[in-house]
Amino acid sequence: MSGGFLSLEGVRKEFGGFVAVDRFNLEVAQGEFVSFLGPSGCGKTTTLRIVAGFEQPTSGAIRLAGKDVTSTKPNERNIGMVFQSYALFPNMTVGRNVGFGLKVRRTPKDEIEARVHEMLDLIQMRHLEKRYPYQLSGGQQQRVALARALAIHPQVLLLDEPLSALDAKIRVQLRAEIRAIQRKLGITAIYVTHDQEEALSISDRIVVMYEGRIEQVGSPFEIYNFPTTAFVASFVGTLNTTAAEVVDQATHLLQIDGVQLQAAEGLDDRQKGDKVTIAIRPERLNFVSQERKANILDCTVENITFLGSVVRVQVSVGSNRFYMDTFNNPFLELPKIGDKDQVTCSREAVLVLRQ
Amino acid sequence: MTISTGPPITAKTPAAEAPPKGNRLWAWLIFLMGALYFMLPLAATFYWSLRAEKGRFGFEAYRRLFADANFMPAFSESIVNAIAAIFLSLLIIVPTAYWVRLRMPRLRPVVEFITLLPFVIPAVVLVFGIIRLYSRPPLLLTATYDSSRVLLVCVYAALSFPYMFRSVDNGLRAIDVRALTEAAQSLGANWITILREVIFPNLRVATLSGALLTFAIVLGELTIALYMAQKTLGPYMANLTRSKVYEPSAMAIVAFAITWVAMGMIAYISRERKQP
Repeated sequence: MSGGFLSLEGVRKEFGGFVAVDRFNLEVAQGEFVSFLGPSGCGKTTTLRIVAGFEQPTSGAIRLAGKDVTSTKPNERNIGMVFQSYALFPNMTVGRNVGFGLKVRRTPKDEIEARVHEMLDLIQMRHLEKRYPYQLSGGQQQRVALARALAIHPQVLLLDEPLSALDAKIRVQLRAEIRAIQRKLGITAIYVTHDQEEALSISDRIVVMYEGRIEQVGSPFEIYNFPTTAFVASFVGTLNTTAAEVVDQATHLLQIDGVQLQAAEGLDDRQKGDKVTIAIRPERLNFVSQERKANILDCTVENITFLGSVVRVQVSVGSNRFYMDTFNNPFLELPKIGDKDQVTCSREAVLVLRQ
Repeated sequence: MTISTGPPITAKTPAAEAPPKGNRLWAWLIFLMGALYFMLPLAATFYWSLRAEKGRFGFEAYRRLFADANFMPAFSESIVNAIAAIFLSLLIIVPTAYWVRLRMPRLRPVVEFITLLPFVIPAVVLVFGIIRLYSRPPLLLTATYDSSRVLLVCVYAALSFPYMFRSVDNGLRAIDVRALTEAAQSLGANWITILREVIFPNLRVATLSGALLTFAIVLGELTIALYMAQKTLGPYMANLTRSKVYEPSAMAIVAFAITWVAMGMIAYISRERKQP
């Protein structure tokens, strides 16, 4: 990544003896939208709080626009933050909430008013300026929280699971709005979420975290299609993973339950007889057609599940169970449960995961 | 298809079930006894206060009370003391309770115990302890009437801690202190601004109920004011009891009225702030 507008260098955070974040290195470019994705307790919120200044790292440094801000107080960092619980000031109207940061900065009244109106126009809530937070819906409150964070012209916008408390429909709508506003203003943003769909749909890059460490950093496309670790593979999307043995390193030939399978890459540092974990996305598996000659696995159909636009077929291949996804359509010919069949996939679909 | 011939089944909710008649009678009886226990002495006091003039009921005792040259100074001094004690108590308790909740939640039981001490220590013990401690250098605060008054306000502030801490702590529990603080910090606010603009305004009802309870207690406080030779309402009332017949009853009713007005204000303001 070129240009580190925000840099996290070797950040480590311990709480007592517990290591919450470890060896965290990341460079975020100006205007980039980066998501921290991971399960609960993986350290994503702690890392965000370190960037905000609410937590001091045990070691490591935070640089913002070339300046070391590791020891800078949170109220002197000029970083906007949006919280999961909205954190709107209950005693203030929408307008006063949005203008609070500017008032603290002793901005002239007319400038505050103009900026508040600009922000409320941005979130299309100008007509609700005089309302109190309790008079707003959850989605509206989070919009106000976003406007309030943006009103101060922050260098970086931090969003800590901002949509978690909202219902599914509002969540999808609001995440699109957040992304549109971020693009419009060109602001650097870090977004914490445990929702993979949210991260995949909204981010320029995703940082997948597990047990305080970065597992993989990449674009949503890379994270989904080319997971490099077993954790990323299992956490992002549905994935078939199984143990395999290297048969021929040069031709990327593997073996699972006596059946040979060819991968496209990932065996460069392996030797014949090595045990590896391979992964195949359900949508990359198909029932065998006439022309396919390689990567053919005998299977038995075990279950068929309709998931709306997708039909998921569960098959057993030897002692392994694989899911196979296919788009639903009214003319789809599906096997019956118990049918013997063959499934296949391309070499590129077989991912050899890093141990 | 089969049709059931049994009796229709209707769902019964606990709320729909009326209590048995016997229970209702007992409830009313207990309520009546409670009401009599509280109201009778008050009614009797009020009745007595109206009998200052021979042969007819009237407000003569009240007139004499307000006409007494010592009443208004004692009354106003007590009010000023109460207000000063409330402000001092708020300045100590709100930042303490806020900081404990935000940064040192484990210390909460300790702080709660400390704030309860004025309940545990009898007023006589407290006042003699204070007089011993502050009647000699370097902490000589009992030398003049005014310095003693400052000391009295400090003691009253301490007396209010049990009420004030609980009220403020409950108020803090009702808001997301951490998130509000961090939101304000991220917007550039320092600790003073956060307390002034965010925490205090959101504790308005809580601090007000603590303040009004403090007001009611300080207004009629006798023991400490008496031993510290202060001319407040408590000693005035005690003196009145010794020298007059009807005026003490009138004074008691006035004190009750002030307390009730204070309670009514708490209830009114709490209701005003309730969210729809």
